[in-house]
Amino acid sequence: MLAGMVFLLLPLVALAASLPALTGRVVDTAGVIDAASEAALVQKLEAFEKKSSDQIVVTTIPSLEGEAIEPYANKLFRAWGLGQAGEDNGILLIVAPNDRRMRIEVGYGLEGTLTDLHSKLIIENTMVPAFRAGDYAGGITRAVDDIILVLEGNAAELEARARRNQDTGVTGDDIAVVLFITVWALLFFGGFAFAILPRIFGRKLGPGRYEWLGRTFRYNNGSRSSGRGWSSGSSSGWSDGSSGGGFSGGGGSSGGGGSSGSW
Amino acid sequence: MTALRLIQPSTARLIRVFAALLLALPLLSACGYNTIPTAEEQAKAAWSEVLNQYQRRADLIPNLVETVKGYAAHEKEVLEGVVEARAKATQVTLPADALTNPEAFKAFQEGQAGLTSALSRLLAVVENYPDLKANQNFLALQAQLEGTENRIAVARRDYIEAVRVYNTALRTFPSVLWATLWFTGNKPFENFTASEGASEPPKVNFN
Repeated sequence: MLAGMVFLLLPLVALAASLPALTGRVVDTAGVIDAASEAALVQKLEAFEKKSSDQIVVTTIPSLEGEAIEPYANKLFRAWGLGQAGEDNGILLIVAPNDRRMRIEVGYGLEGTLTDLHSKLIIENTMVPAFRAGDYAGGITRAVDDIILVLEGNAAELEARARRNQDTGVTGDDIAVVLFITVWALLFFGGFAFAILPRIFGRKLGPGRYEWLGRTFRYNNGSRSSGRGWSSGSSSGWSDGSSGGGFSGGGGSSGGGGSSGSW
Repeated sequence: MTALRLIQPSTARLIRVFAALLLALPLLSACGYNTIPTAEEQAKAAWSEVLNQYQRRADLIPNLVETVKGYAAHEKEVLEGVVEARAKATQVTLPADALTNPEAFKAFQEGQAGLTSALSRLLAVVENYPDLKANQNFLALQAQLEGTENRIAVARRDYIEAVRVYNTALRTFPSVLWATLWFTGNKPFENFTASEGASEPPKVNFN
């Protein structure tokens, strides 16, 4: 006889769906967004990043392959590194049409602006009705509009964030660092200079005694002093990752902020 | 000309020794001296994030219980279960060596697991109250609670990975040399055994 209660054991090894490549601001792997909407979305997202430095990426995947959408979205967000490094101002809007699941994953830096409740409301009020009607492109476009609206709602914070991440020129901090390194290098290598140069350029007075620049230098042992080249303190410049035609994540991370939903 | 007087020829040698020491420092880190402390600090930071998110969940609960009470006061048992589980979970005081103390770590984990299951019972009961589900306050709390649960899951995953790296560093070459010669007080950290709720297979009832 069949027992009434059946225990289903899920395989312990989680079926991890392979991660798609970040080919642009809209990665429509499931193919549910039409070309015109996609082009409009890409343009909108690009313009918004220029303005705010916030990176919003939309992706659709055919199947989660048994994985829950939350860990998958977090993995994908971190793999793509959305948002600027240190600022973590990225947002990933992910839709899995065949699993009927969607999620807005918010980077650490935007958790305070686009709260979990905002994400939930956008999902429930904007995306769910459109998706139920089969209008994926419309639902996603309106959801992106809502996200931008919320992010723009905190205008002062948005401007500050944009300024912080668009500074490509030399700032006061850079000058201070260069000055510090220069002074330090002068003091440090100055010791070497005075240990070596008098022997080379100075006039020899006796064993271990040299006169150079009107001063007498004494060297009380015959130890060899090795010549040492000058190394200038080089400061590595920041290169803007978003220049050029290609798009790549800025190196941001997410701690699981945002909200998920289904329809 | 004080600078010139400072660098007397007799001190030139001292400066050279000092410079040699400075140059040797990066070599020391290349030997893997930094591996263990770095991994340890990362694991500790990951643990702080776990505690932080559990604390946030505990902070959300009183508000949630009050809101549910307004609509489903007669679900006393479930509500009290949550309040009790929360009290139990927050009562667990973590000693300073919680990460290397299996008993303390287990007590903490059990307290939080109890709260997780009590909360899921409450949220299951809530499904029977459409008025409550439509309540804006409840919706906000639910969104925050879901977000916190997910952040807990992420923080736990990060902690598991950080501890794996740290414990591996303590036992593998070449960092094991530093562990035995220098960092003798460093003990492996405790890790979460399984993700909450994943140890129980889902039950399917065909009756």
